[in-house]
Amino acid sequence: MLNSRKKHIGHKHCITNYLIQQMALLSIRNLHASIGDKEILKGVNLEINCGEVHSIMGPNGNGKSTLAGIIAGNTKYTVTQGEVIYKGKNILDMPVDVRAAEGIFLGFQYPVEIPGVSITNFMRTAVNEQRKYRGLDPLTGAEFMRLMEEKKKVVEMTTNLANRSVNEGFSGGEKKKNEIFQMAMLQPTLAILDETDSGLDIDALRIVATGVNKLRRPDNATVVITHYQRLLDYIVPDFVHVLYEGRIVKTGPKELALELEEKGYEWIREELEAKK
Amino acid sequence: MDSLVQGFRDIQPQMRKNEVWRHVDFTSMLTDQLLLPKGERQTVEYRCNIPDLDAERLVIENGFFHHPQQQNEDGVVMAGLKDICHRREEFVRQYLGSCTPKQNPYLKYNSEHYTDGLFVYVPDGVRVKRPIQLQSVVNAGHGLFLQVRNLVVMGKDSCATIIHCDDSYDNAPAFANNVTEIYVGQGAQVEYYKLQNLNNSTGLLNHTYASMEQGAQFRSVAITLNGGHIRNHTEIRMLGEHCQVQAHGLYLNDQEQEVDNYVFVEHAFPNCHSQELFKGILDDQAHATFNGHVLVQYGATKTEAYQSNKNILLTDKALVNTKPFLEIYNDDVKCSHGSTIGQLDEQALFYIRSRGISERSARTMLLYAFCDEVLKQIYLEPLRERLTDLVKKRLHGELTLCSECALQCSTPCNGPEAHFYIDPSKL
Repeated sequence: MLNSRKKHIGHKHCITNYLIQQMALLSIRNLHASIGDKEILKGVNLEINCGEVHSIMGPNGNGKSTLAGIIAGNTKYTVTQGEVIYKGKNILDMPVDVRAAEGIFLGFQYPVEIPGVSITNFMRTAVNEQRKYRGLDPLTGAEFMRLMEEKKKVVEMTTNLANRSVNEGFSGGEKKKNEIFQMAMLQPTLAILDETDSGLDIDALRIVATGVNKLRRPDNATVVITHYQRLLDYIVPDFVHVLYEGRIVKTGPKELALELEEKGYEWIREELEAKK
Repeated sequence: MDSLVQGFRDIQPQMRKNEVWRHVDFTSMLTDQLLLPKGERQTVEYRCNIPDLDAERLVIENGFFHHPQQQNEDGVVMAGLKDICHRREEFVRQYLGSCTPKQNPYLKYNSEHYTDGLFVYVPDGVRVKRPIQLQSVVNAGHGLFLQVRNLVVMGKDSCATIIHCDDSYDNAPAFANNVTEIYVGQGAQVEYYKLQNLNNSTGLLNHTYASMEQGAQFRSVAITLNGGHIRNHTEIRMLGEHCQVQAHGLYLNDQEQEVDNYVFVEHAFPNCHSQELFKGILDDQAHATFNGHVLVQYGATKTEAYQSNKNILLTDKALVNTKPFLEIYNDDVKCSHGSTIGQLDEQALFYIRSRGISERSARTMLLYAFCDEVLKQIYLEPLRERLTDLVKKRLHGELTLCSECALQCSTPCNGPEAHFYIDPSKL
């Protein structure tokens, strides 16, 4: 026990005691990013504290997935300016797997199929590599299976599904359930769910949303990227942000989502133009 | 150098002018260390390390078949080819050479000089329940030049699974020019698995010729895990309607190993179906060749033929020559061919790493996933599990501690198997 704690403190990447400093969990300042020559994010500012649920909405192609990808560590995007501070540390140079081990989780809009790798093996590797990073001993087979049984209930996942290859031949609903199942297994501090509601029928939506709610704790935070207010009936956000042309142009309470659902995004554009 | 070895060596320069044999060069392996087999027998018992595989095991040791003739209650005959030729010459002559209408000098060399081999006869309507496993072992304590000839005759509507393993027992050099003929009678079904795990100083020219009558089905999966220089030369002819062929292969090679898969499939009659999938991972200076040739004859309407070869190169020096090739003389067909040489899917890599899995483990996982498409084609479960394990071990890199490996094999890594590996960090 003592030994494992020593390892924990000694690890060069491990971020500790950020809470003592009373900082936001995630703080994005003036973030500019591009893919190739195309600038997508043009100065995003965002603060997220533990215990909060944030929703990011906005029309297609305005940078929502880019923002999620950058926080998670996708090197496809180039950050040209600004910083992303997570637990008090700029994480932009941190590799994606280290960010994950530090507690960042991205629920993919299009989860990737990995034929030949079962969900069980995939998760066992992920859980144990994350544990190793934190200086903990790997879970034994029995401990792992117990954890898996427990977490499968969060998204009402069948045993059959868990034995299949990761996302291979899954329906849209199964893929998204699998994302939330992985989130339950990894217990992230900051979960970003990128259009988790797309491609879901009403029942699957309820299961997925209920799963996310079950995972809410005072010491973690969730960012929900969505097009539709419907998901927010289940996952009630503390803040709604509108990401428009690479900037967060409006932030409001959960009622803002209802307004957007009713009026669309046109009025936001008009409001912006009037300001100019 | 023995005159037979010299003779074989002398054929090569002429053969390399032929497109089909262009990359076949065994010269460096045909040394004067190679002797002709004299029926050397060792007292070792050759075990098969496939757990749970209940098979009829037959061993060809140093080019000779030593088992007595067997005939079971269904009339299935398993015997040495020389022996059966001697006793049932007329019957054997009907089939021997019947699957090889197109001669080539290497084949001819085998026909003239083969020492022995396995003969299998499955009578009409018999479904052989236990797989037949043929183990070709080289274990003479010195270099050997081998020529083995196998013949499988499948009667009408019969069914059998054959596993053909080529194993080295020690590190002595060897060269084998082996021919297997498979006659698949009307409506018969054959599953043929070729496994090759040879030492680096062994060369293997492995010919497989299959002739299929109407409604026959032939599936072959060739898994090459190791071997100095291996050429799998496969020719399959569909001589009736409604035949189905599946020819798949997987090769994992490193150092200076060479692997060469040639697959010729002839569609001569309507409504036949063929599918080829060959995949390979090459490390160090390894060299692979894929040469697929599908010939669709004038009368072969409603043919379906698909051909695919995919490769991953881990280093700048690894080399692949790939040539998927369709030759079609009919308009009413559905055919495709393609090949890829590339690296791992970045999107998938990001997905795996985003779960906290290190880059190295993620690459290993994806390499395994790449192989899995071929491994899935092995329907015989104990064999698939064993090969899956061997492939995992081949890919596991320097992770000798099982608990740290991303692949979690079902049997622990131990012994000499773990010494060969493909290193994913070079990607």
